[in-house]
Amino acid sequence: MKFRCERDVLVDALATAGRAVGGRGTQPGLSGVRAALTGDRLELTGSDIDLTISVGITVSGETDGVVVIPARLAADIVKALEPGAVSFAAVEDELKISAGRSEFAIRLIAGDDFPRLAELDVEAVTIGADDLAGSLGQVIPAASTDDSRPILTGVLVAAEDGGLRLVATDSYRLAVRDLDNAFVLSDGQSVLIPRKALQELNRILSGGADVMVRLGEREASFEVGDIRVVTRLIEGDFPNYRGLIPASHPNTLTLNREELLDALRRVKLLAREATPVRLDMSADGLELVAVTQDVGTAREQVEATYEGNDLTVAFNPQYLLEGLEVAPGDLVTLSTIDELKPALVRAVGVDDFLYLLMPVRFS
Amino acid sequence: MDAFYASVEIRDDPSLRGRPVIVGGSSDRGVVAAASYEARVHGIRSAMPSARARQLCPHAVFLHGDHSRYQEVSARIMAIFDDVTPSVEPISLDEAFLDVAGATRLLGPPEAIARVIRDRIREQERLPASVGGGTSKLIAKLASVEAKPRIEGRSILPGPGVYVVPAGGEQAFLDPLPVRALWGVGPKTHDKLARLGVVRVADLRTVTLERLVGVLGQAQGQHLHAMARAHDRREVETNRAAKSISHEETFAHDLVDRGTLDRELVRMADAVAARMRASGVRGRTVVLKLRHADFRTVTRSHTLERSTHSAPTIHRTAREMFDQLDLGDGVRLLGVGVTSLTTDAADQLSFDDVLGAGDGAPAEAGRTSVEVDEATNSAIDEIRRRFGHTAIGPAVLATEDGLEQGKPGDEMWGPAQLPPR
Repeated sequence: MKFRCERDVLVDALATAGRAVGGRGTQPGLSGVRAALTGDRLELTGSDIDLTISVGITVSGETDGVVVIPARLAADIVKALEPGAVSFAAVEDELKISAGRSEFAIRLIAGDDFPRLAELDVEAVTIGADDLAGSLGQVIPAASTDDSRPILTGVLVAAEDGGLRLVATDSYRLAVRDLDNAFVLSDGQSVLIPRKALQELNRILSGGADVMVRLGEREASFEVGDIRVVTRLIEGDFPNYRGLIPASHPNTLTLNREELLDALRRVKLLAREATPVRLDMSADGLELVAVTQDVGTAREQVEATYEGNDLTVAFNPQYLLEGLEVAPGDLVTLSTIDELKPALVRAVGVDDFLYLLMPVRFS
Repeated sequence: MDAFYASVEIRDDPSLRGRPVIVGGSSDRGVVAAASYEARVHGIRSAMPSARARQLCPHAVFLHGDHSRYQEVSARIMAIFDDVTPSVEPISLDEAFLDVAGATRLLGPPEAIARVIRDRIREQERLPASVGGGTSKLIAKLASVEAKPRIEGRSILPGPGVYVVPAGGEQAFLDPLPVRALWGVGPKTHDKLARLGVVRVADLRTVTLERLVGVLGQAQGQHLHAMARAHDRREVETNRAAKSISHEETFAHDLVDRGTLDRELVRMADAVAARMRASGVRGRTVVLKLRHADFRTVTRSHTLERSTHSAPTIHRTAREMFDQLDLGDGVRLLGVGVTSLTTDAADQLSFDDVLGAGDGAPAEAGRTSVEVDEATNSAIDEIRRRFGHTAIGPAVLATEDGLEQGKPGDEMWGPAQLPPR
């Protein structure tokens, strides 16, 4: 294998493919990026078995071939080179990287160790990237990062009322987003896609192009331009999230989303060491209070209309912030039952998004 | 506590009752740590050299004492205080300040609270205590002296046991007291004051601040000037970080049956949880203590994600640690406790509480498991408040004759296994 390529193009491609490469302690084959050259087409693939990212770029090819190169090292080297053309040449078990007066020879990884990637034999469905990008960003923050409950590290993608519904929860908050006219699944079908895969997908979605989605039994793939993300699906039953959403809330607070966000970010400075931010809600509006023992106190009044009984409810400010940040629109409502039951964040006049979160019990 | 160490010894060995008992170093270089009132009749005081005490009263019973035993008794007495208010400031093993301002709504006026405390110590520990009350630490401390038995001539006059100085009555209470009663008035200061003609607190009030500072120096002059006027703004300071609530029990025979031991865990978890709720505290770290037949002692602790004051959670956590332990030749002592207690816990609730999917109580229609748990706790506490402690309890402790009894620490020292004297 031998080719030449612009340094910056190669840097980006190595970084993108490298994002699927496992961290420390992975088996040798998985710490590499597979480089396959056919004519002028170079495909770089990184994989940790669960997640695979492939990037295709156009290079000036000389000799076809397939090698597995150490991902981190190769990326660091190429990034550090002078701008301009970089040439890659595999000779026996070494890869020569040269640019200008720099020359590196690094040991290749045995190709047998690299995982075999299954092709998904399913018809592709095309979705607008912008729609999906916005929607993924709204639910991903609510998915769990705690591997002890694997089901919750996934985002539920379900066919719902002729559209697509995205659901994520880490058991403390729940985000639900509905997409119209996105017929990826057959009626009643649902899959559980790992948060990490969707995060990577979301990262490459910004191009504005379309996404080709393939959903298989055990895998899903997403293609955006020259980049393809393939992920294993999570097996198991997603919790009954519908049962969590209360049918009605006696108390509703309505206020400007940005004003609440700004106030919350300020008051949060005094909510340390797991102390919550308290929301005192009454006909006078909203007061945010944070008290950390031996540190101090923060208070802020926020203009709001409130219907219901006077209520003080406390939240982990980060959870509330993350919900408000992804809520659409200028006006939001916070609906509550009491200080121990789930509270609901919605955008006024927007039905396709909801964010439910559990309070913090404080004494 | 009245003559604390000596009272503990007399309680545990009734043959000592009525005799002069001295706890302390018995060698000639030792000092008296505590003396029963019968010993005090002979002029014996704490901190007096043991040799002098022996001269004053050759027939007194001298005991080495067992500090660790006093510590454990003290912990249980402090636990009684914790039941009254979380605002407890221990001064020594046998003395503490309690701020009961927040407890009056539940327990009645200070006088009633004082009686409750004294009665509980007498019932639970069979030890005499005296309780003083007042609007400041100064007054409360001096009132406790009034409450204690007194020696007059060769006889012991029983004290009232409880003495509360009413708000507004502070000056009238202080004025007739000898200045020596005030904190910081030792023999030297006493002499200096005597030269000014000051004998009683009332006399002290007539001396100007400048004069006092001139004679006693800045710090002490100001201190006594304020004390004489009952000016004392010191708060009851609790050290919450260090607080824990625990129960342990030494069994009559070493136990080997896990089922029997588990029942003990249930009983102790229930007692610990009840005390935590009475003190208004929650905690996250559950501690299990187990002493083997050969006295080898192991402790295990586990920190929960959320704070608790519920018996089932404490028991389950203790049980999980217990199940990991090898019982060997038998268990001599078992203990359950909760540490890192706090009055301002903040716990992130979870959807598991709504679904009843977590470790807590099952959720009900419209109520999360947290709410069910709290409602259960409140009901238990209320039933016990109205009908007594044994009116309700964990089902595994039920027998045909009612609830298996076991007051906290009844057999802590082992039944009648007193150290040889």
